[in-house]
Amino acid sequence: MAPSNYLILLLIFSFCRYGNLQRLHEKIYSSIEGGAACFRRLNGTHQTGCSSGINGAVGVVHMIKEIIDVQWLMQNATAGPYMVVVSTHLFPDVIEHILEKPAIIAGILLHDNATGSSASFSQETRCPNEYSSSYGSTCSDSAAGGITWNEKGTGLLRRDIPFPIFYLPISKTFEIEKLDQCYLRYNVMDPANQKGRPLCSVQLHSFMFAAVDTEVCLRRSTSSALLTPTKVCDPLGDHNIYYSLFPRTKDNKNSQEITLVTARIDSASLFDGVSPGAASSVVGMVTLLTAATALSQMIPVKDASVYGQNVLWTLFNGEAFDYIGSQRVAYDIKQGTWPANAPLSVGDIRLHVEVGQIGGSLSVYDNTWPLHAFVPYVDDIPAIAEFLNTFSSNLEKNITLTPDYNSNLPPSSLHSFRRTFRNETESGALPEVLLTDFKATFSNMFYNSALDDYDNIDFTYHNITVDNKGTFIPTDALVANGTFKEVDPQVKIARLATVLARTLYQRVAGKAYAGNISVSAHLVDEMLYCFLKSQACRLLQAAEYASSGADEKPPERPAPLYVGVAAVGSTAPVFAGHLLALLTGTQLPLNRTDCYDLSVPGFSQYYLKGWNNSGVCIQTTMNISAALSPAFTIPNYNLKSGEYSTWTESVWQAMWARMFVSSSGVGARVAAVSGAVATLLAALLTYWLQTHAARIFTDAPAQSIVNDDAASGILRTVNC
Amino acid sequence: MTLAEFFSCSLLAFGAPLVMFALTVANDPVRIIIMIAAAFGWLLSFLVSSVVWYAVVPLRSYLAFGMCFAIIFQELFRYGMYVLLRKTEAGLKEISDNHNIGSNKLEMAYVSGLGFGTMSGAFALINVLADSVGPGTLGLYTGTEYFFVTSAAMTLCMILLNTFWSVIFFSGFDDKNYIKVGWVIVSHFFVSGLSLLNSKELYAATILPSYIVLAITAYIAFRTAGGSTRSLIQSISSRS
Repeated sequence: MAPSNYLILLLIFSFCRYGNLQRLHEKIYSSIEGGAACFRRLNGTHQTGCSSGINGAVGVVHMIKEIIDVQWLMQNATAGPYMVVVSTHLFPDVIEHILEKPAIIAGILLHDNATGSSASFSQETRCPNEYSSSYGSTCSDSAAGGITWNEKGTGLLRRDIPFPIFYLPISKTFEIEKLDQCYLRYNVMDPANQKGRPLCSVQLHSFMFAAVDTEVCLRRSTSSALLTPTKVCDPLGDHNIYYSLFPRTKDNKNSQEITLVTARIDSASLFDGVSPGAASSVVGMVTLLTAATALSQMIPVKDASVYGQNVLWTLFNGEAFDYIGSQRVAYDIKQGTWPANAPLSVGDIRLHVEVGQIGGSLSVYDNTWPLHAFVPYVDDIPAIAEFLNTFSSNLEKNITLTPDYNSNLPPSSLHSFRRTFRNETESGALPEVLLTDFKATFSNMFYNSALDDYDNIDFTYHNITVDNKGTFIPTDALVANGTFKEVDPQVKIARLATVLARTLYQRVAGKAYAGNISVSAHLVDEMLYCFLKSQACRLLQAAEYASSGADEKPPERPAPLYVGVAAVGSTAPVFAGHLLALLTGTQLPLNRTDCYDLSVPGFSQYYLKGWNNSGVCIQTTMNISAALSPAFTIPNYNLKSGEYSTWTESVWQAMWARMFVSSSGVGARVAAVSGAVATLLAALLTYWLQTHAARIFTDAPAQSIVNDDAASGILRTVNC
Repeated sequence: MTLAEFFSCSLLAFGAPLVMFALTVANDPVRIIIMIAAAFGWLLSFLVSSVVWYAVVPLRSYLAFGMCFAIIFQELFRYGMYVLLRKTEAGLKEISDNHNIGSNKLEMAYVSGLGFGTMSGAFALINVLADSVGPGTLGLYTGTEYFFVTSAAMTLCMILLNTFWSVIFFSGFDDKNYIKVGWVIVSHFFVSGLSLLNSKELYAATILPSYIVLAITAYIAFRTAGGSTRSLIQSISSRS
C-alpha cells in the first residue's frame, strides 16, 4: 500500500506541473533541528515554564542584533505576533522588555553565539529555593535590599512564560544563519510596512499537557478518558547516592558515629536536556567523589573495627527543585528508614559538611581559590571548630578558607536538615558546615543555566592515558612536568579534595595524616571530562557493568544533570554511584556468578568492566535511595502546604521548530477573485448554452446510429 | 491567511467544474454514472502509467518520460471510454428516465470528459491544496507565494481542456476525422510539455499559452457540437 501511494504521489509531481520530485512540503518548510525547548513544570501553587498552543506558535521573525531592535519591536512593529530571535548575550536585557508586552510575541528562539559571550546568564531566581529555605534565611526575591545570592538571576525558571522558548546551542549556529538569510531577504526592507508582505516566519511547537498546578495535574492524571489513563504530569525525582567509609549494619554499633559529607548531583535549566551544571554542581560532586576515593585509600575498609567513627558520603539529587533529594533523606531519617539497611538516627550524625557551590570562581584565571565556610552558629561548636582548624591546617598552596558565622545560609541541602531537625540544628547537636566559593553573592554567573558548561570553569581536557591497573599520576608530578599548572581547575579540585580527605582522616583516626596519598589531578581531569564533555570516557567505561553482549557506545556528550521525572531514571546518579564503587570499592577475585552470589552484611557487589575491560568484582558499601519528594509518598499530603517539594513536570508529545515564508495573502485574494469570476462565467455560459441548446447547436451531429427500437425491445423486458 | 488560500484555490480550480456538473450532469443519474465511469477510467490510465514509470527504473527521474507515458495512456483510455460509451449508448438511453439523452450524441462525450478532467484535476491539486493550509507558503528556497494560485489556475485549465478534448476526440472518431483526434493529442502534449517550465518558475509562460490552447480547443469543441458564432449571436440578440 505505502509504496504504491508513494509512487502515485511521485507521479503526480512528475507530470502534473510541479517541477521536480521533491515533496512540496519540503520546499515550504525547513526544520530547525537540535533545539531544546523550554517546558512546563508545576508546583503546589503555580505553573512555570513555557507552552505553545496545541498547533504551535507562529510568528514573524525578528532578529535582535542590538537592544534598539527590541525597542522598535515593542513600539513600531505592525505585523505581529513576532518570533524574537536573540542571542544568549542579549537575552537577559531583552527578556524584561518582552515580558512587559507579551501579546505581540509569539515566542523566542534563543541561540548561543560564538561572538560576544555572555557576562551572566541565569534563569534561576535571585534567591534559589527561597520557599524551602530554613529559619535564619533572609534572602528574598521580591523584597528589595539584603543579600540576594543569585544577583544576576532573571527568575524565568520560576515564572509562567506565556509563549514558547527554544534554545539552539552553538553547534547549531548554521540554522540561525539560514534564518538570517531568509530574514534579510523578506523582512528587513521597509520594516514599517511589513504587513501585507510575504515574511520570514518561524513556528515553535512545544505544547504542554499539564496546567494550573501539581494538585490539578495529578488529579487529571488519575482520571481516565475512555478507559485509557492519560497522564499529564509526573513528579520530579530520581536517586540519591550514598557510600560509607565502613560498612554499616544494624548490629555494628562501633561505627555508628558518622560524619555526613554531602554534595548535589543535579543542576537545572530552562531548556529540555541542556543542564550542564559545571560550576553549579559538577565541581562539588567531583570534589566529593575524589575525596571519598582518597579517604578509602588512606583508611582501608578492612580496618573498620579499629575506628569508632564513620564517614557517610551522600550525593543528593533534585536539589535545584526545592531540595528534593535532601528533603527525602531528612524525612526518611526522621522516619527511621534511611539508609535502608542500617537506619540512622539524627543523633548519630556528629557533623554535616556540605560541599556547596564551589565552581564559580574557577573561571577567574588566578592561582588562588578563596573558599568560604558558612557556619550557622554564633556559639562555638566544638565539632565545627575542630573541623575548620583541621581543614585550615591541611590547606595547601593557594586555597584559603574563611569561616563565616552567619545563619543566613546560601542555597544548599543544609536547609532541608535545618527544617526537618530544627531542634538539633539550632542547638548545635547536629553541627553543620557549608563550603562555598562566595561570601555574599554567587561567583557563578551562570547558576543553573544552559551556559554553565565546561567553559565556565575553564576546563580543558588533557587526555592522559590510564594504565590497566587504574593508577593515576599524582598531582605534584603532573605540575612538576608542566602538564598541569596550578591555575588549572583539575589541580585546584585535586588539592581541595585532598584537604577534605585528610581532614576527615584526622576526624576518623584522631591523628594527622602522615602518608602521601592524595587526590590526583589526573583523576579529576578524567572525571570532569566524563561529566562535562562526554559520557564516552575512560572512567565511565571502566565503571560500567560488564555485560556479556555487544556494548553500545555511550553518546559523546555529557549526561544531562537535570533531575528529570521520578518514573524514568537518569544516568548522572548511576554514573556517580558506579564511579564511587569502582574507585572506593574492594576488588574481589571472583567471577560474575560468584560475585553476585556473595552476601556480606553491609556490602553489595558489582561486576564492572574494570580498567582492562575484562570484568572485575567490586565489593562496595555504595547504595542508592529514592530522591522523590515526601509530598508524593505521604498519603493525603496537602500539596499547598509548602512543606516539601511538590514539583512535577508536564508531559508533552513533540517539540519541533521550523522556518518558512508566510504568505502575504495576495495569492489568496487573486485566487478568490479569479475563482469567483471563473465560476460565475462558467455558470452563465453553461446555463445559456443549455437553455438555448436547440437554437445554438443547429448543426448538431446526427442522432445515434444505433437503432433505437431494436435495443429498446430487449431492454424493456428488464426491470432496472 | 492560509486557510483563505486553501478555499480560494479550491474555488478557482473546482468552482467552474462544479457549476457545470450541477447544471448539466447532476439532474440525470445516467450522466452521473457516465461521469463516474470516466473518472474511474482516468484513474486506471494513471495506474497503468504508474506501473510503466515504476518498471522503467533508469528513466524514473526524467519528468518528460513519465509525462509522455501518462499522456499516451490517458488518450488510450479516452478511446476506451469512447468505445465503451458507443457500445452501451442504447442501453443507457433505455434505462434513463430522460429519453432526450443522446439527442446530441456529443453530450456523452462532454459528460465523460468532465469526469475525466475532474479526476485528473483532483489528483493534480489535492496534495498542493493540503500544503496550502499553511502556515507557510513557498519562498524559503525557491518559488513564490503565487505558486498555489497558478497551480489552481492550471488545474482548472486542465479540467476544462479534458472536457473539450473528449468532445473533439469522440467526434473525430465518429466522423473518422482524424485531424481532430490529432489536435487533441498534439495539444495535450503541448500543454503538458509547457508545464515542464514550471520547475524554472516561468508561471506566466505556462499559463498564458495553456489558456490560449484552451480557448482554441473550446472553440473547436463548440463548432464540433454543432454551434456556430452566428447561432450564438442570434440566440443572444433574438431573445424575445
